[in-house]
Amino acid sequence: MAATADETEEHTDAPEPESAERRRRPGRIAGAVSVFGELLITVGLLLGLFVVYSLWWTNVLADRKADKQAEKVREHWAQGTDQGPGALDTKDGIGFLRVPAMKNGSVLVEKGTSTDVLNNGVAGYYTDPVKAMLPMTGEKGNFTLAAHRDGHGAKFHNIDKLHKGDPIVFETRDDWYVYKVSSILPETSKYDVGVVDAVPKESGWKKPGHYITLTTCTPVYTSRYRYIVWGELVRVQKVDSKRTPPPELR
Amino acid sequence: MYGWFWRHLPGNVWVKLLVSVVLALAVVYVLFQYVFPWAEPLLPFNDVTVDNQ
Repeated sequence: MAATADETEEHTDAPEPESAERRRRPGRIAGAVSVFGELLITVGLLLGLFVVYSLWWTNVLADRKADKQAEKVREHWAQGTDQGPGALDTKDGIGFLRVPAMKNGSVLVEKGTSTDVLNNGVAGYYTDPVKAMLPMTGEKGNFTLAAHRDGHGAKFHNIDKLHKGDPIVFETRDDWYVYKVSSILPETSKYDVGVVDAVPKESGWKKPGHYITLTTCTPVYTSRYRYIVWGELVRVQKVDSKRTPPPELR
Repeated sequence: MYGWFWRHLPGNVWVKLLVSVVLALAVVYVLFQYVFPWAEPLLPFNDVTVDNQ
């Protein structure tokens, strides 16, 4: 009974039931093909979203975190809670890296180069495989840093805009450390740990000095190789009461 | 797949559209909040240090 009722209804709805039926219900293979096509579209959308996530969203998150952290450090400095030159608070960050050629303002420097640290939109100083020599100690050594090229703040994105002689300034609570780029290694293996040695072989330096090393990945959007920039300390300038930046930053 | 999904949504076209948009946003949220952060370290796009590993 129900079946016949349905049939009559169909008949009244569609004057040509056979052709309408064929159009509405494609065959099994056509159905499978269309599901497969929709799956492909879905995968494409997923990959597109992942690109948006890595190149935009991680920057938003990291910059937000880094700004908050930087504010904390600045406040800390303003209050002068660190007592004496030996008391160094390495947890919140030790200072700011300012490289005019990279056009990225001041980058907070924190301890360590693990992804947890670097994903917060900061530059990290090496603790492994070779410990970085911090400039505040005043001793000769290599101040080795790493930061992201893309995503998570992308603090070293413009590292390729740095040329020989460009200033790299490191700002601490009490001093401006002004470095000048002395050599660049545009591509090296990620296993090339020699680049963060106290006196890196490829840098051309022969004896220990006050050096700085920036490392990040290259080419952009990949991690195939590492890009290295070496600089040497030219002078140290005391921070005045107004925190007037050194001429290199003006 | 999506056609089947659309046919099984309740309400008229506008309600269906609204429900679809909300669901799509929920999916994007879950992806950005949980799936991508989990997947990212597994992909070789963002290693910047030199090391022995």
